[in-house]
Amino acid sequence: MANPDKLKLVKDLSHKAIAFSIARVPNSNRVYFGCSDFKVYEADVSASKFEPKDLYAHGSYVTGVALAGKALISGGYDGKLTWYDTDSKKVIRSEEAHSKWIRGVFASRDGKIVASIADDMVCRLWDAESGKPLRELRGHAEKTPHGFGSMLYAAAFSADGKYLATADKVAKIKVWEVATGKSVAEMEAPIMYTWDPVQRLHSIGGIRSLAFTPDGKTLAVGGTGKIGNIDHLEAKARIELFDWAAQKRLVEYTSDKYQGIVNHLEYAPDGSWLLGAGGANEGFFIFIDAAGKKTLRGEKVGMHVHDVASSENAETVIAAGHNKLAIYEMKG
Amino acid sequence: MGKHKTFCGSGDHAISRRGFLGTAAALGTAAFADMTQLNLLSNPALAGELKKQQKRVILLWLAGGASQVETWDPKPGAATGGPFRAIQTAMPGVHISELMPRMADRMKHTLVIRSLNTKNADHGGASKLMMRGRRDEANVKFPDLGAVVAREMGRADSKVPDYVTFYTQTEGRGMAPGDAGFLGSRYAPMELTTNNMPENIRKVDGISELDHQQRADLRDLLSKQFAQGRTSPTLGSQNEAYQRVRGLMSSEALFDITKESDKVRDMYGRGQFGEQTLIARRLIEAGVPFVRVARAWWDSHGQNFETHQEMVPELDQVMAALIDDLKDRGLLEHTLIITLAEFGRTPSINPSLGRDHFASAWSCSLTGTGVKPGVYGKSDATGNKVAEGEVDAAKLFATIYSALGINPHKNYYLGARPIPLVEPGTEPITEVLA
Amino acid sequence: MRSRRLALLALFVAACVARADLLPADRPIHEVIDHYVDAKLAKVKTTSAPQVDDVTLIRRLMLDLVGRIPTPAETRSFVESTDPQKREKLVDRLMASPGFVRHQANQFEAMLAGPNSRGGGGGLRDYLARAVGESRPWDQVFRELLLPDEDDPKTKGSSDFLRSRVSDIDRVTIDVSVVFFGVNVSCAQCHDHPLVNDWKQDHFYGMKSFFARTFDNGGFLAEREYGLVRFKPTKGPERQAKMMFLTGMAVSAPGVKEPTKDEEKKEREKFEQFKKDKKAPPPPSFSARAKLVEVALQSKESEYFSRSIANRLWHRFIGYGLVMPLDQMHTENPPSHPELLSWLARDVHSNKYDLRRTIRGIVLSKTYSRSSKWTAETVPGPGTFAVGRLKPLTPMQMAASLKIATTDPQAFETGKPEELEKRIEGLESSARGFASSFAQPTDDFQIGVNEALLFSNSDKLAREFLADGNEKLIGRVNGISDPPKAIDLIVRSVLCRPATADEQRVLTEYVTRRTDRLADAYRQVIWALISGSEFRFNH
Repeated sequence: MANPDKLKLVKDLSHKAIAFSIARVPNSNRVYFGCSDFKVYEADVSASKFEPKDLYAHGSYVTGVALAGKALISGGYDGKLTWYDTDSKKVIRSEEAHSKWIRGVFASRDGKIVASIADDMVCRLWDAESGKPLRELRGHAEKTPHGFGSMLYAAAFSADGKYLATADKVAKIKVWEVATGKSVAEMEAPIMYTWDPVQRLHSIGGIRSLAFTPDGKTLAVGGTGKIGNIDHLEAKARIELFDWAAQKRLVEYTSDKYQGIVNHLEYAPDGSWLLGAGGANEGFFIFIDAAGKKTLRGEKVGMHVHDVASSENAETVIAAGHNKLAIYEMKG
Repeated sequence: MGKHKTFCGSGDHAISRRGFLGTAAALGTAAFADMTQLNLLSNPALAGELKKQQKRVILLWLAGGASQVETWDPKPGAATGGPFRAIQTAMPGVHISELMPRMADRMKHTLVIRSLNTKNADHGGASKLMMRGRRDEANVKFPDLGAVVAREMGRADSKVPDYVTFYTQTEGRGMAPGDAGFLGSRYAPMELTTNNMPENIRKVDGISELDHQQRADLRDLLSKQFAQGRTSPTLGSQNEAYQRVRGLMSSEALFDITKESDKVRDMYGRGQFGEQTLIARRLIEAGVPFVRVARAWWDSHGQNFETHQEMVPELDQVMAALIDDLKDRGLLEHTLIITLAEFGRTPSINPSLGRDHFASAWSCSLTGTGVKPGVYGKSDATGNKVAEGEVDAAKLFATIYSALGINPHKNYYLGARPIPLVEPGTEPITEVLA
Repeated sequence: MRSRRLALLALFVAACVARADLLPADRPIHEVIDHYVDAKLAKVKTTSAPQVDDVTLIRRLMLDLVGRIPTPAETRSFVESTDPQKREKLVDRLMASPGFVRHQANQFEAMLAGPNSRGGGGGLRDYLARAVGESRPWDQVFRELLLPDEDDPKTKGSSDFLRSRVSDIDRVTIDVSVVFFGVNVSCAQCHDHPLVNDWKQDHFYGMKSFFARTFDNGGFLAEREYGLVRFKPTKGPERQAKMMFLTGMAVSAPGVKEPTKDEEKKEREKFEQFKKDKKAPPPPSFSARAKLVEVALQSKESEYFSRSIANRLWHRFIGYGLVMPLDQMHTENPPSHPELLSWLARDVHSNKYDLRRTIRGIVLSKTYSRSSKWTAETVPGPGTFAVGRLKPLTPMQMAASLKIATTDPQAFETGKPEELEKRIEGLESSARGFASSFAQPTDDFQIGVNEALLFSNSDKLAREFLADGNEKLIGRVNGISDPPKAIDLIVRSVLCRPATADEQRVLTEYVTRRTDRLADAYRQVIWALISGSEFRFNH
């Protein structure tokens, strides 16, 4: 049983680029990760020597990688989605998927559907195998209430694949029925979006991460708190939990210690804890209880964490971020 | 030159005035301006004359330090390049950030200097340096760009202010106020900080025009008496300020943006930056020599890409609108639009995905009068150093003055001491002068 | 590095003139001041302006000591007095009055706020008023500002100084160094001196180390047991800063190693608990800030502290410091009168930092009461103190004086001094709102068009000061049928002196040309005087 109390760093691995997204091959220690040098890498993190191999490149930052069956799907600031066959080790498809910068790529747990989100404020659903576009989820506003272009930062599938949540810069959350593309819930976490009209006349923040509980009833939303000096990510990490069907906020959690933004959320397989990972100048892991009230464990991580890939039982946690990958274990 | 009715031609009035002034030196005020009549913009003869006249400057001050990588000097593919790509512009061989598509179409008007190395990376000192083109000495306070242009281009009997600055946001405002230095408060700017209309610019009810003017004359007379035998720069500044009240009051309409069509207002955008830039256009069209519009605050130590993704498209829209608007009005060839800041941002990206202060290889742009469009200077492949054509603050200012037709080696005098406009030994970048 | 620092301290101390060369400590302060100032004038062969007359003297003293112009009755009483000690008695009376406490509290608040402040809440000013009122020594005030005890009612409000800055430790470091030591550690761009350049980085981070452990714990100031400052110097790799005072004196501090996870967790939980209980956490077993206070006040190091406050007080009352700018007190920038500054600093230090003593000495000197008029060709430089300096009024001085100037003088002639005090206090309170329309003067103060437009066109100003009403000057004037009499009353009320013959002529003429709107005419005359230069300055 993955126990946050037993969390310990196994090793950290330096990398010349910033890793924005990571996917783990099931039952292995092989990962794929997408980076700021536009490349998608493959590596075995348990190998004695860390030798990532670059497989192919996008035209800009690779912000999302997802495994769906044998396909690795990546997306980046070039607006393209690339399908890479991990068996034949070839790029099999490239789609001009979005007119603006892609922020994430997510696969349903059954590996059948892929979701991509981008700053054109559209979430697109694709058939994972054929690459066929299935549906477009439109509803996030293109402009912020202050008249500037918005960003669509986060998405997450429910475990059963029936629902997809998306969230944006102005901290609006929508839950969609995957089969129909219908919007079934709307919520917001306005504290996570700071607009400063007086000192600096721009904004910072946004919801950066989402996760459904294993039973699908609660939606966790990750970002940062209200910021005074928006030149920095100076507020403490913030998570809110919602009963999404009732469109009601259950809990607001602010870290007392860790400063920065929560870029990734994931629940324990049994739902007993929630991990929020992220950072500002440094990185953190924050484990909170299911009720969202208590910090079970906080850990400073050696780099600002952008994404995490865990083993099925969550006993191995692989973090990817600013010039580093880090392997943690929580056994027993 | 326009229609100024003297306010009251009565002999009575003339005697009184002489009586007040006695042997005191002439106050230098022009004939009484009729506040209600002046509308320079509606006077075609005047507008035509402006077209022949001296140059005007609009400085878009990107306070806090906009990133040159996310604007004028993209480094696609470099480790320091960030996620935004470079796009081809209308100038063959020149690429700028994809965040500025409208400016890309208009690059045939713009000179970009990519090789600024100004060495000062702290907001306070660098703001002062980049507003003056040099550092202050212990005993000399140099006038900033606005004050110099006001002095060189302003008219003694002008009814409009010579130097206007908009700085509405609170961050950094104190570091870069307009400053006339040793030129004195005559050339100090009208500072608009809380809103776009100067406060107290309209006469209140309950006092006639005549009395309003004559009590001011009375004030001036008595103050001049007090000033005999007394020295103080503050004293001088107070009297200068009162001298200018009437003229400033008559320029109220210029600040009224509702006088522009919806079409024009939409072109600039309805945000604060767009509106203030549109007002700047109105001001320079009416003869104000120098307007600074500060767009604060670009200091993206964290989340640089998010901040620039938000703010650069606005700069793109506003600057493009300004260029189009000035061109339509036949004013682009008489106006210099400058984008400048206290410094740029580091090529290296910090863990908060931010860029920090950087003055070693950054960019500015000059559009309009006196410059040849294109690119001057180069930064190296990562943007960390100047590779070619290094320009410091003094050289930049020498170039700006030259483009405006002002001799950069001209001397001002502080007492008996000659003070050249730019640091001695500095030459403008002659290759870029039209 | 260490030898460089010692060399610097030696240079600095040498610049502080050796004690043996100074006038004896028991000489009266005002005599010492005049001695040194006159000596330098003689040396540079410069004459000085004459002493001001009584009418000017009382206005100057009252503006400087109690922050307002005198009423016509106060002026008359002082001018007509034949007591040879009247100046000393006036000074003592003013310094014993509540107005002194209020005004000096305002002045100290402005000093603590610095040039970029936007005005704080009243908490700090209330604290300063208590401190001035009780004549608290300056070292005690320093201690109370840097080590505030949130539970002590006597120091309530002192925590505002740190709390308003605590989110930016660089700001704390710079402001403390500027205000208390006269040293702007952040600004050495102007210094090419290699020694000073190097000095700046280590000293800046050294000073910052005293503050780096301080933070805001749920609205209360808190200080950790641990915390180190690392920095990247201009040359060389990143290194850890040592706690070091401006003199170069390094302080060894516990907490040099990073705390263990357990220690960190325990400390975090402890602070959390205090935050929940909404209480101020107690100071740590080793407080870096307390160490700074201790070091700054110990014998050799306290030179910075005492010289800085001496210079500040001189600047406040004379209008130009012995060292200028105020935050550039270092060897590259010597005082205009080194012996005088050393003597005053020594006097402050040996008299337990009793500032009233210094203030009294300054305002009783002949140097202080020189005329601001100089009719000859070349004006002597401000650092000679040959000519009285024009000091633009502070926002509160302006607002309070505007209120007094436009009040019917009879309203101040009730007879009972306590009633007058109360009335003045009430006027000052009501003036506070309008005071925010003015900028706090700085050393290169330029009055801009905004102020001229404010006076010319603000209806708020017209309503506050020029409208008719109960006990207003304009009301009283309207009841005087003889214009010259009315004019005289106006000039005495606003400019605190009788009108000259020329002024009588000009102003009476202005008014008599407006017999159809006489009240407006008088209003306009009052306007011309309150917006004029003579009113605007302490001359």
